[in-house]
Amino acid sequence: MDLENQKRVKDLTEKYGAENMVVLIGGAEGEAAGLAAETVTAGDPTFAGPLAGVQLGLRVYHAVEPEFKEAVDADVYDEQIGMMEMVLDVDEIVEEVKGIREEYGKFND
Amino acid sequence: MGKIKVVHYINQFFAGIGGEEKADFKPEVREEVIGPGMALNAGFKGEAEIVATIICGDSYFGENMDEAKAKVLEMVKEYDPDLFIAGPAFNAGRYGVACGTITEAVQNELGIPAMTGMYVENPGADMFKKDVYIVSTRNSAAGMRDAVKKMAPLALKIAKGEEIGSPDEDNYIPRGIRKNFFTDKRGSQRAVEMLLKKIRGEEFETEFEMPDFDRVEPGKAIEDLSKATIAIVTSGGIVPFGNPDHIESSSASKYGKYDIEGVDDLVEGEWETAHGGHDPVYANIDADRVIPVDTLRQLEKEGKIGKLHRYFYSTVGNGTAVASAKGFAAEFSKELVEDGVDAVILTST
Repeated sequence: MDLENQKRVKDLTEKYGAENMVVLIGGAEGEAAGLAAETVTAGDPTFAGPLAGVQLGLRVYHAVEPEFKEAVDADVYDEQIGMMEMVLDVDEIVEEVKGIREEYGKFND
Repeated sequence: MGKIKVVHYINQFFAGIGGEEKADFKPEVREEVIGPGMALNAGFKGEAEIVATIICGDSYFGENMDEAKAKVLEMVKEYDPDLFIAGPAFNAGRYGVACGTITEAVQNELGIPAMTGMYVENPGADMFKKDVYIVSTRNSAAGMRDAVKKMAPLALKIAKGEEIGSPDEDNYIPRGIRKNFFTDKRGSQRAVEMLLKKIRGEEFETEFEMPDFDRVEPGKAIEDLSKATIAIVTSGGIVPFGNPDHIESSSASKYGKYDIEGVDDLVEGEWETAHGGHDPVYANIDADRVIPVDTLRQLEKEGKIGKLHRYFYSTVGNGTAVASAKGFAAEFSKELVEDGVDAVILTST
């Protein structure tokens, strides 16, 4: 996750509280999605950004995960994400992000 | 013994100062643990701790090498650490070269145990792998966790003066050091076993790693050979009879530049080879066998090539260090370019 976005997530978390945050990510493959998820839960894995060593443990989901899909209007989802859902390796992304969430998330609800 | 005192070197990016736009950041020391240092510190598991972090921009280091090096050394010296760690630099070229340079200097000029980490194809790896321990990392910072897992234990070993295992055991880039040891199987048996594994397509481990040489990109094709000036360069050791420059028959420390103006054929008694790595009889009878001056003259007359360059360059390749060969070539290539040579025919023996 780039340094700007790390800072945004950090600032917003300070402002609203970690328990009130959900981070929605859209990385196009498993590893990238996993790294982004790791950044907002366990801290920046590259140790270069504002979230280095900061364990926010935020709720984090990828846009193709069922939790998100079920929470939004099916028509809008289809229109906005349906196409990408067909071309992405959804299983890999879900496995990666879910794994990170379960390991490092502080709000497993 | 108290905790091992560590000074850590990182670039402006990992210090969170900025990217390329801040790469001219001058060396600065901070008495805190920054960025990757946090991961390293955790990896030390209480055995060592980072007492200071030195930050320097990659461009600044690259463009002011001597000054930056001196400044960083001065900073390191002030803390008199038990260990110095630079990076990891992954595949960042300038950062890798900076890490290698400063690690080597801390180790050899200050006598402080030091190490770094980077991706095997980082230019810094090739430059410094022989001098210092460089942990082999992945090519991007996404591999930080993995890099730290390898760097921290090796760093502790180095600081404590413990014996370092093989590159495979301790995860560093091979330094080209060979160690003798006794084994219960004799060589022939090991060789046959290795061969059988190879034939079966199984994995096997060589006992004699070949050095890897860097690849050279082919030059551009010549558009019109009939107008091109062709020069000869050889590692086959062809010299005027009597070897006037005393080029060594092996491990050459020099090369010669010889005039072949008006020479149509290299005849016995006027030319010979200085090469000691093969039977020189046939080369001495007819040195054209090693550098085809006669054929090239022929092609020149037929108009197939523009002309044969007036000088050829010669050295002996037998056991000559790659670094020396590179040095020779770097020198005479400039002359060749200045003399308007379009292409070079390189022959060995």
